[in-house]
Amino acid sequence: MKKPTVAVVFGSRSTEHDISILTALASVIKPLEMSKKYNVVAVYIAKDGRWFAGSAFKNVAVFQSERLEGVLSKEQPVSLLFNNGLTLVQNGRFKRTETKVDVVFPALHGTHGEDGQVMAICEMANVPYVGCDVESSVIAMDKVLAKQTAIANDIDTPKYVSFDKRAYELSPRQWDDRINKELKYPLFVKPAHLGSSIGITRVTDKKDLANAIEVALHYDTKALVEEGVQNLVEVTLPIIGNDELRPALLEQPLLKSEDFFDFETKYMQGGKGKGKGGAKGGKQGAQGYSNLPAELPKDLYAKAEATGLSVYRALGCEGTARVDMLVDTKSKKVYFNEVNPLPGSLYAHNWSQAGLSNVNLTDRLVGLALERFAKKEAITTSFATNYLQQF
Amino acid sequence: MIRGLLSLYWWRYPNTLVYMLQSTEYQAKPYLVWFWQTKDFSRVAYRRELNHTKAARMLLWALRLGMLAQILIGLTFIYAWYYNDMLGGWQFGLGLVLAYPIVWAHLVVLPLVLGRWAIVKPKQQRAIHHSEKVFAKHKGVVLAVVGSYGKTSMKELLLTVLSGSKKVAATPANKNVAISHAHFSRTLAGDEDLVIIEYGESAPGDVARFAAVTHPTHAVITGVAPAHLDHYKTVERAADDIFSVTKFVERDNVYVNGESPFVVPYTSNGSYAVYNREGVLGWKVSDVKIEITGTKFTLSKGKRSIKLHSGLLGGHQIGPLSFAAAFAAELGMTDAQIKEGVSRTAPFEHRMQPYLMGGAWIIDDTYNGNIEGIRAGTSLLKELPATRKIYVSPGLVDQGKAGPQVHAEMGRLIADVSPDIVVLMDNSAAPDILRGLRDAGFEKEVIIEDDPLGFYVNLQAFVAAGDVVLMQNDWTDNYA
Repeated sequence: MKKPTVAVVFGSRSTEHDISILTALASVIKPLEMSKKYNVVAVYIAKDGRWFAGSAFKNVAVFQSERLEGVLSKEQPVSLLFNNGLTLVQNGRFKRTETKVDVVFPALHGTHGEDGQVMAICEMANVPYVGCDVESSVIAMDKVLAKQTAIANDIDTPKYVSFDKRAYELSPRQWDDRINKELKYPLFVKPAHLGSSIGITRVTDKKDLANAIEVALHYDTKALVEEGVQNLVEVTLPIIGNDELRPALLEQPLLKSEDFFDFETKYMQGGKGKGKGGAKGGKQGAQGYSNLPAELPKDLYAKAEATGLSVYRALGCEGTARVDMLVDTKSKKVYFNEVNPLPGSLYAHNWSQAGLSNVNLTDRLVGLALERFAKKEAITTSFATNYLQQF
Repeated sequence: MIRGLLSLYWWRYPNTLVYMLQSTEYQAKPYLVWFWQTKDFSRVAYRRELNHTKAARMLLWALRLGMLAQILIGLTFIYAWYYNDMLGGWQFGLGLVLAYPIVWAHLVVLPLVLGRWAIVKPKQQRAIHHSEKVFAKHKGVVLAVVGSYGKTSMKELLLTVLSGSKKVAATPANKNVAISHAHFSRTLAGDEDLVIIEYGESAPGDVARFAAVTHPTHAVITGVAPAHLDHYKTVERAADDIFSVTKFVERDNVYVNGESPFVVPYTSNGSYAVYNREGVLGWKVSDVKIEITGTKFTLSKGKRSIKLHSGLLGGHQIGPLSFAAAFAAELGMTDAQIKEGVSRTAPFEHRMQPYLMGGAWIIDDTYNGNIEGIRAGTSLLKELPATRKIYVSPGLVDQGKAGPQVHAEMGRLIADVSPDIVVLMDNSAAPDILRGLRDAGFEKEVIIEDDPLGFYVNLQAFVAAGDVVLMQNDWTDNYA
């Protein structure tokens, strides 16, 4: 029997382009191949937006050196054919190759991918795809929309003020005054759409606010400023499922309350060592910087897990997502922070500790994509009328 | 086919030949067997690369120059035919040009064979002859460790248990042939209480030759299994060879692993002391507890009772541990010394060695190479609690004509564990293991992996917390 073809899409025009490569190669392509159930095609979106496909892109060495430009100059970009499904078309020197895709597995982080754009292509092509759909991806990747959705569903989230670049630049003073009036320091200034903690600044003093907003608006057209949570324990919960949800373990990055993980701490130091501000390295989290499971009292652990699942449902997530939460250990309140619709490396380390291997995780995610597609196919999308006959 | 043919003319072909020689320790026969089994020389050096030692570099240059010379001679013949009408010149010339990969793959063996016979062998004979005198003069207990499997483990076990209180010397690592014994003899001071010598038999007559040189006073036979059948042909002949050590040692000083089925014909008349998980030399085993982190049991004899805890895994270790403890007692060690000695025993590298990977327990038994090791490993996997049990193996090497039968038996042993997943490698052993699995009614998941190295490297992706994975055996590049 022919194995289904899974196209793993990664790279793209995003600040998280390199993280996406790592996710795809280590946590998606290799485990899918190890399952022996799929024909896995690596689809790489270059930084300039061209799409490529081929086994060369399964090799991390291609991306680690100057070789990439050489490989890209030799390879023909692929075009996408929508023929009640998705076909990758590659016009080689001597022949045209068509690869019919059975499932798309986006392994993209950030803009032009995780934000729903690739999911929209899959919807148009009518091909099953892994993970959150267009709507939930759009909401999840916009921190402001996600907070509004959470609030509408009676889920606590830290107080915030949001604005777009144009509005802020018209009257920065007014916005600063409003922030100072409505919110208590310390504050966190964040770009609305970026992941991996890019462009986030912790502000403890009024005089640093404008600078922090400038940094956030350098990366994004929309930003938000939110109150810091006191007595903070930051936790994150990976979840899989469409209708029936399965949470992994609640994971706790090891930070002091005044700390947070920026891009450099998360990725450039191999996740080891300190968060900003000097917190000690972790003891057993997958990348060595977290407690897994989080060290919370039983009731608070259960509350955080329940909040995570509520957020997942409220935002309409499917397939997988990771919900970040902020826990005030004194007041025992759990605040929703943000949702990551495609967690880096799928948070495979956490799933593995929770009893689901990376191979089984990717296999299950493909299964969930197919289940959702089958349900969608059962819905009627056309309606017969005699409207056109009157012309 | 075409790819394989072209690989003979691939620019790295000489490197591949030297790699094959190096991997077979410059032995002509296994090298030539490998050469003629190889279908594509561009895919030979997969697991590792050529180690550019002085010998390897010299061989490589000799090969390159030889090949170049043959090509030039061939071209000269073609030239001679073209310009001087030399009869048959182009055919012979073309033949020389095309045949150089085959010709030099064989010519390269000649200096090795000649060098071995003319220089190495006589030198080794002198060293072995000298060592015979050293062993003959030694006043301590000389213990020969003999068997198809478990020799290195038994040697290390005795060394660990006894060396705390006795002066003990043992042959290093798996150096277990006559010349290794000769080198080992040079390291002896002569005042050792115990000298442990491992015998690495591989052909009929080997054990008797080793014993004639090393003069053992005691012998422990760790078991008999189908191994090296390419030379022994049958397991019975291997058993005869192994038991030939008893002709050199007093009957009372021979100890035999009673859990090895193939030793039964030799021990059924009570000729030798037998050790097993019930005890040895009057010592009785009780209160056995087997865990992933080690094995606990009590050894009792009369009024003496010793609670032992070893880091070694599995019920099959109780017999050898009991023997080591009883032998230590025979040599005069106290209960406390024995207990302390046994507590220092830990799994040897790649031999039932457990380690944690992302919450899963991996039992690395990749050095195992025989069906008895498979029996011990599968028995351990069956005993241990786990969320998922995963069994991984490429099968056994050097099984000769018994290969299909041994691998089918292996399949049946695996099926008896009923692991959740069985991972086999895409090689000649897989069909027979599958047959054994099917015969035993195994219906769970079987994965045939075509990239063994990739699988081992990416094992972490395959496992999750709560899993117990048993990895047995390993195939090097010269097996397929």
